[in-house]
Amino acid sequence: MATPIIDDTYRYGFHKPEVYVFKTKRGLDSDVVDQISNHKREPQWMREFRQKSYAVFRQKPLPIWGGDLSTIRFDDIYYYLKPTDKKASSWADLPKDIKDTYDKIGIPEAEKKFLAGVSAQYESEVVYKSIQSMLQKKGVVFLDMDSGLREYPELVKRYFGTIIPPQDNKFAALNSSVWSGGSFVYVPKGVHVDLPLQAYFRINAANMGQFERTLIIADEGSYIHYVEGCSAPIYTTDSLHSAVVEIIVKPRARVRYTTIQNWSTNVYNLVTKRARVEEEGVMEWVDGNLGSKLTMKFPSVYLVGRKARGEVLSIAYAGRNQHQDAGGKAIHIASETTSQIISKSISKSGGRTSYRGLVQVYPGAKNVKSKVVCDALLLDEASRSDTYPTMKIDEQSVQIEHEATVSKIGDEQLFYLTSRGIAKAQAESMIVNGFIEPIVKELPLEYAVEMNRLIQLQMEGSVG
Amino acid sequence: MLLTVSNLRVSIGDKTILRGVSLKVRAGEIHAVMGPNGSGKSTLAYALMAHPAYKIIGTILINKKDISHLSTDKRAKAGLFLAFQSPIAVPGVSVMNLLRSAYQELHPAGKTPEKIQNPLLARRWTGGGMTLSNFSLMVKDNAKKLSIDEAFLSRGIHDGFSGGEKKKIEMLQALVLAPRFAIFDEIDTGLDVDALKVVAQGIGLLASRGTGIIIITHYQRIFKYLKPDVVHVLVRGKIVKTGKAQLAKEIEEHGYTNY
Repeated sequence: MATPIIDDTYRYGFHKPEVYVFKTKRGLDSDVVDQISNHKREPQWMREFRQKSYAVFRQKPLPIWGGDLSTIRFDDIYYYLKPTDKKASSWADLPKDIKDTYDKIGIPEAEKKFLAGVSAQYESEVVYKSIQSMLQKKGVVFLDMDSGLREYPELVKRYFGTIIPPQDNKFAALNSSVWSGGSFVYVPKGVHVDLPLQAYFRINAANMGQFERTLIIADEGSYIHYVEGCSAPIYTTDSLHSAVVEIIVKPRARVRYTTIQNWSTNVYNLVTKRARVEEEGVMEWVDGNLGSKLTMKFPSVYLVGRKARGEVLSIAYAGRNQHQDAGGKAIHIASETTSQIISKSISKSGGRTSYRGLVQVYPGAKNVKSKVVCDALLLDEASRSDTYPTMKIDEQSVQIEHEATVSKIGDEQLFYLTSRGIAKAQAESMIVNGFIEPIVKELPLEYAVEMNRLIQLQMEGSVG
Repeated sequence: MLLTVSNLRVSIGDKTILRGVSLKVRAGEIHAVMGPNGSGKSTLAYALMAHPAYKIIGTILINKKDISHLSTDKRAKAGLFLAFQSPIAVPGVSVMNLLRSAYQELHPAGKTPEKIQNPLLARRWTGGGMTLSNFSLMVKDNAKKLSIDEAFLSRGIHDGFSGGEKKKIEMLQALVLAPRFAIFDEIDTGLDVDALKVVAQGIGLLASRGTGIIIITHYQRIFKYLKPDVVHVLVRGKIVKTGKAQLAKEIEEHGYTNY
């Protein structure tokens, strides 16, 4: 059986030592929210924003659609932990399974330690510094969100919470009231950042918070590719991860945002991601979800300018006790806007994947084109896949395509590959990798390689 | 090398399809198994390759090794190859990727690979007898012999391929993987004359390199370009006659009604 990552930390006797210099009490109330603001010495507007958001969080009910959220214990969570600069925990303390998985994926030692939470200081500091100096020359801002708020208060105030207001949903409200870490990126007019900006180059523990908040502003005609996450399992004892990512794509700018999520299988991963795309701008979400107990994530594009384009490419893998409720949303507000949502999901060992998507065309948005393709692959009888596509079309001159397929790994495909001398488990992983290949080829090379390797490990049942 | 099939009885569910088939194929020999529709030709091909739907009684030996209890991939490793009549597509798995993976399984280098430290080396080449770049050249060279456009090598195998392209890609795999014994299940159907010639030449080449060949077919037309050493007539699950190349011509003239 492929248990991708550890789902019961206690069972393995692994305990993350508490080496935080500051933490709030368990649970959330108005005082805790204030404490966070105080601790960070935030401006008044942010304090108020947090408090208002907290009120919204209190008042909004849990969503009753999607995955089962009833087991989240909001009162048991520490909402703010400020870690020390260097953690004292050691590599040897990690459970063997996690170490083995890192070995099998083949990630370098330094990176392993960082991922495992053993080292807060990733040893690519040198690489990071040279990237920072390259970015500075171009006028690109790439900071953690807290620093962004301190150093660029006007810019942050102008855009923060405008794309995803706290009222949007309960978890956006939660994030807005307790957010910490995440990235702040500003790309000036006409600047092309050729190298993908990888969140883990700007390493400190804040970056991997439970409630990180990211704001990316791509000014006119600029280009940036932002990469977050990692295909290696991210080991955490936190049970709730709820991030908010807001992106502003100015006219003729292009932003690609790539995520590979592989949280351990005790984590609720409830993330709101949205981009506003202006005239002739392009937004591309590439979203891979492998881990977590439940993920609910629907990267969205709001196409507000003429000829704006949005794309969502989504891969979801659900193994035992996992539910991936993922998809995408394309909201066409302006004319001649185009969108494409491609979703590929794989369910194994009783795992469940759901595609949930929305294509909406506002009245007055003429000549809109949209294409939705969702393909599900079931690896056994116990697994499950559902599709929940929604279309709200208030305009005549639209061209919408929707294709959905559900397939099982065919006995004939397996027979064919095994007749070439390939063992059954490897044949299965080849079929699965082939299935997701159209999306994997869009990933940066090292992610693509790791993704394929990880799928192979899952198929062979040799992880965990 | 000798492939010996003895008294092979094959059933699917309650239905018995082959009722005791025996064959001896030596290295480099070309055997034709001809028969009318429903005689059990394709069942023979699938049963030799251990398709899970079929139940087998009888023995299949390669030299003295009994492979009749081995799974499909192990039979391939023992030296059997099947060119499918209607091969299934595996989207996203390119022809080259499949050939690379299969070759490494079928012709491994002697050494066991070291523990993988770097993901970029995770797909390290472990094929025997040649480097990865020479392997790629060998594949391309064989593709050229079969007039297969190189672009096909990077496409998902059989995904959207025409009937003729599929047959040529099956032939290509046989040439690249160099099995001890290859079974061609109706390789001649759906091929135009030019493609038929190319495939027939490919089979001839394979036989000349020492692979024992079983060509399963309804028609005699491929034998205009390729002379079989032995012809078997399979009717209602039994081999009813065995002869030389001349037998194929007789069948072409008189059909199977005499049997």
